[in-house]
Amino acid sequence: MPDEPLQQFVGQAVDEGRPVDPGTIEISAVTTGPEVRRLRKKGLGIAGWLSIGWITLVVGLAVLAPVLPLDDPKDVTTAIARRGPFADAGTASGHLLGGDFNGRDMLSRLIWGGRTTLVVATLSVLIGFVLGGLLGLIGGYFRGWVDTVVSLLLDVLLAVPAVILALALVTILRTQPGTTSGGLDPELALILALGVVSIPVLGRITRASTLSWSEREFVTAARAQGAKHRRVIVREVLPNVLPAMYSIALLGIAVAIVAEGTLAILGASVEPDTPTWGNMIAIGRIQLERAPHIVFEPALMIFFTVLALNFLGDAIRALFDVREGAL
Amino acid sequence: MNSRGAGTRSFRSRVVALVAAGSLALGVVAVSGAAAGAGTPGSPGTPARVAGAAAPKPGGSVTYGLEAETGGGWCPTTARLAISGIEVGAAIYDTLVVPNSKGEIVPYLAKSVEHDPTYQTWTITLRDGVKFHDGTPVDAAAVKLNIDAYKSSTLVGAALKDIDTVDVTAPNVVTVKTKVPWVAFAWFLYLDGRFLIVAPAQLANPDTCNSNLIGSGPFKLDHWTVNQELVANKNPDYWQKDAKGQKLPYLDSITFKPVAEAVQRVNGLQGGSLDIIHTSDGQQVDALLQKKSSFNEMYEQPGRREVRYYLMNEAKPPLDDFNARKAVALAIDRQQINQIRNDGVFTVADGPFDSSVTGYVKNPGYPKTNVPEAKKLADAYKAAHGGTFSVVLEHTNDPANVAEAQLIKEQLSKAGIDSTLKQDDQTAFIAAAVGGNFSIMLWRNHPGGDPDVNYQWWQTGSLLNFGKFADPELQTLLDQGRSELDPAKRKAIYQQVDKRFASQLYNVWAYYDAWMVAGKKTVNGFMGPALPDGGGQPLFIYGRHPLLGIYVTK
Amino acid sequence: MKTVARRLLQLVVVVLLSTLFAFSLLRLFPGDAADATIPYGTAAQKAQFRKDNGLDKPFLEQYGTWLGNLLQGDFGKDYQSNTQVADKLEAALPVSIALMLYAQIIALAVAIPLGVFTAYKVNTKSDKAINAGAFALLALPSFVLALALAFLVGVKWKPDIPLIGQLQVSGYSPGWLEPLFGQPGGDLGPHIATMLLPAISLAAGLIAVYMRLLRSDMIATLQENFITMARAKGLTDRRILWRHAFKPSSLTLLTVAGLNFGTLIGGALAVEIIFQIPGLGTLIYQAINARQIVELQSYIAIIAIGYVLINFVVDALYVVLDPRIRRSHA
Repeated sequence: MPDEPLQQFVGQAVDEGRPVDPGTIEISAVTTGPEVRRLRKKGLGIAGWLSIGWITLVVGLAVLAPVLPLDDPKDVTTAIARRGPFADAGTASGHLLGGDFNGRDMLSRLIWGGRTTLVVATLSVLIGFVLGGLLGLIGGYFRGWVDTVVSLLLDVLLAVPAVILALALVTILRTQPGTTSGGLDPELALILALGVVSIPVLGRITRASTLSWSEREFVTAARAQGAKHRRVIVREVLPNVLPAMYSIALLGIAVAIVAEGTLAILGASVEPDTPTWGNMIAIGRIQLERAPHIVFEPALMIFFTVLALNFLGDAIRALFDVREGAL
Repeated sequence: MNSRGAGTRSFRSRVVALVAAGSLALGVVAVSGAAAGAGTPGSPGTPARVAGAAAPKPGGSVTYGLEAETGGGWCPTTARLAISGIEVGAAIYDTLVVPNSKGEIVPYLAKSVEHDPTYQTWTITLRDGVKFHDGTPVDAAAVKLNIDAYKSSTLVGAALKDIDTVDVTAPNVVTVKTKVPWVAFAWFLYLDGRFLIVAPAQLANPDTCNSNLIGSGPFKLDHWTVNQELVANKNPDYWQKDAKGQKLPYLDSITFKPVAEAVQRVNGLQGGSLDIIHTSDGQQVDALLQKKSSFNEMYEQPGRREVRYYLMNEAKPPLDDFNARKAVALAIDRQQINQIRNDGVFTVADGPFDSSVTGYVKNPGYPKTNVPEAKKLADAYKAAHGGTFSVVLEHTNDPANVAEAQLIKEQLSKAGIDSTLKQDDQTAFIAAAVGGNFSIMLWRNHPGGDPDVNYQWWQTGSLLNFGKFADPELQTLLDQGRSELDPAKRKAIYQQVDKRFASQLYNVWAYYDAWMVAGKKTVNGFMGPALPDGGGQPLFIYGRHPLLGIYVTK
Repeated sequence: MKTVARRLLQLVVVVLLSTLFAFSLLRLFPGDAADATIPYGTAAQKAQFRKDNGLDKPFLEQYGTWLGNLLQGDFGKDYQSNTQVADKLEAALPVSIALMLYAQIIALAVAIPLGVFTAYKVNTKSDKAINAGAFALLALPSFVLALALAFLVGVKWKPDIPLIGQLQVSGYSPGWLEPLFGQPGGDLGPHIATMLLPAISLAAGLIAVYMRLLRSDMIATLQENFITMARAKGLTDRRILWRHAFKPSSLTLLTVAGLNFGTLIGGALAVEIIFQIPGLGTLIYQAINARQIVELQSYIAIIAIGYVLINFVVDALYVVLDPRIRRSHA
């Protein structure tokens, strides 16, 4: 039996005479036939529950950061500078994860860093979700010249590789560091930049999904009954498109977390002394030899969080694709 | 339904070839590649370095990792050289004089530099037969052109303001008259290695002057690809020989590579892509010291080190206010910075002078860290100035400097002083200082030659007085020191200078920055031969060292 | 063909719009661009800057001039070091192109055999293990892998590879591509020694994507009738896998590989900084640090144009190579 989700996408693309969207290909490559069937039987499985657990932990710590008994992430303790995990400088509480480049507590910075990183990633994907989703819905539903315009817009945003686009936007939009003239707060500029970059990603999946769902009979039926476009989109099409959007959104958050890391190494993330997982790596990389923990602790946080988000994103996709296939 | 038709034989072999090529790509490429790079450092059985172990043989080349590119080039009228540019200068050019290990300034390219009893007439006599790389002679006319060019430059010219006239009094003699008795004028023909004598041909065309490097030095420019490399080849007609009569330099070529991050330079050295590097980064110096057995290292000893300090802009609020500056100075904990930033290997500085420099005072009165007092002063400032007290900490983009700036920010915040961080590459950094558009800069300067050499950095109204402080008392001391003939009185004057800085807090002195030059075990001769005409041994100061004596062994 | 014409039109429009976006960066900049680019220039120099970059002319007119210059090879200049951007590009492009090529080669060399193998052994333990590994690799950012490799290889292990020498974690040695750009080339051994670790860092993420893509395509193909027929004919598994199943399954993979050059450019930025490779990424980083917006504009425009062109070519190839599309439009 041919692999349903992949063939569906490829076939669709072929029918329309356009090449297959690489974004959707990558996602569908993750879900293969045998895995789809396995998911239906077993539910989420251990990996799924671990992922949910990890995300909950990370989000929980991020939300609770202000009330947790953590050291101030900016507080310097000379003795623990660049000392590895369990560095205890004779102070009352040990420093479980060691000290960073300047002697700040790693555990505290990881949690506060996670907070900032997650906020940035989530808000930027939210922008993509809303704006990209809107564009995708409109283009996929109305087709014709509307779709051409929407596709063009998305193509233009995709014409520049994401990291470079984000980098250029952050550089232009933010207040030049060290000045007070014009521009946005660096964190806001970063969120906007990553948001703009997320728009085409969410836009494409929404559009592809909308194209497919708009052809269904119940949509035609609703239109025949005299329902206005807006009602049809919101009531009939959107609920079916949302699962795909959620799936991509989760994956998008993972990508945004990694993008923040890349931008941090280039000096384009938030202010360097505000901890984010990326900023911590950016500073720590010059002491890989004697204090590798400064880089690898946030790196592991990124790795596990991205892993968990990837898994959950795929799982959602698989679950809903199965339902789709059953129709 | 047979949409997937049978593949053809040729396609299959293509696919197989693709995969085979892919997995063998590296092997195939390696097989056709040339011999591998240099040997691994730290191999067992490497003997400890014995002084003068192997006799220098000519030949070979080295790659030198510098801390920055010199974007502005080497034109005397416009150059803004920092150590990287100065080191390249040491390859391609000569200076009229150099300092020796006794702290004296002795003739080098010049045969002699003499003064009359009033120290107002200086006679520079040049050597016979020395030529620039283009064959033109290093004569008085060329040297006068150089001095005039430097004098006319906006930056270096500030140091040479007290030159009155420059005349060619014989084909090989330049006579300089100064406006005031200038005891240490000879040092100003060196300017920490910036006073490079360039060929008239280089100066002739202003459009190419900064990249068309023609000097009289041991190496000639081959090519300069900005931000990638500058390659210089042996000057076969160089005027110096070693003690055995062998022509200098030994090396066939030097390739200078800018590698901005200190850790990357060390990595390059360890990995073999760089043969010799310099650094003044405390942590990297510490790391290199711990690996002493793997490299040849030259580490600047205390005495004439330059100083790392936080240069404050007295022309702009908030630091135009003395109490504001005091708040900053009291809030910054230099011991902590030295400990964290440098692993404690450097020494905290209380003034611009290191221990061997005339004018050094052990306790000049620089205030100790006092955060509560700093907070009081900061609060008072805020109360009088609309509730805000914020500064900008500007630094170059080496992550180690970024970290140091963060440390300072944290310390300032304890006193209620807000700060933001601003990052520049080195060229923009220097430009920011010159332009006066900064608040606090993480600077490095004042290597320990004669204290008068610092005059233009501190003179009221000088372009090089980046902090723009105008202190009549300090200015008087500087002028007196310049012309004071009695060494004991002179020393006392500069001690006053040291104390004046401590009391007026124009800068926050942090620590003495010691330079280290480290190279592979096969690279030797960092300081080169003794200076010509019995001048003594060259001085390793400000990170600058001669390149004519470097040789490689197997 | 109508499709080709439409795609061509789309290409032109996208190129225009994306270069328009790059061009407008200078105008989006809050604050005075002249002040940011030549902060210590004289008033006359700043006026000249504004004139040279059309800040005083109507937007579209200057866009036209700028685009015209760009297409003729005038990419503006770096005002800080007073060098031509075109010269910098000549030095940096062969580096970046080589890096991306090596990353793709490594990725395909590893992913293709793995993809075929796991499709063949679908649902066995090795398939699951490899799949899990690929999934984990997807979650590993290239800069994390780069730092890990720098640490493990550069600091801890320091292997001496025959003919290549010690793998470098810092710096770059020119190779075979430079002469094509008028730059001095270099020996292959040292070149690979500096490029191997960066290329692996970039390749890892691609391996995961390519492998899974090929695998799912192969699984689908292997279920088709003509495969069953080939089996019935008694052909060996290996022959069936490589000669019959691989070709039709590889189309999407090749498409995605081509399209991934864009992703590679982005990923290469951080990797170049970490390994001190003087490619396009380093140029962009330096332009940002030196606040050279004019220079940055040119880089973004070039990358956009290059990426769009690659996409177009890959799309065209896909249409040409896939018999289904050709047939459906015949």
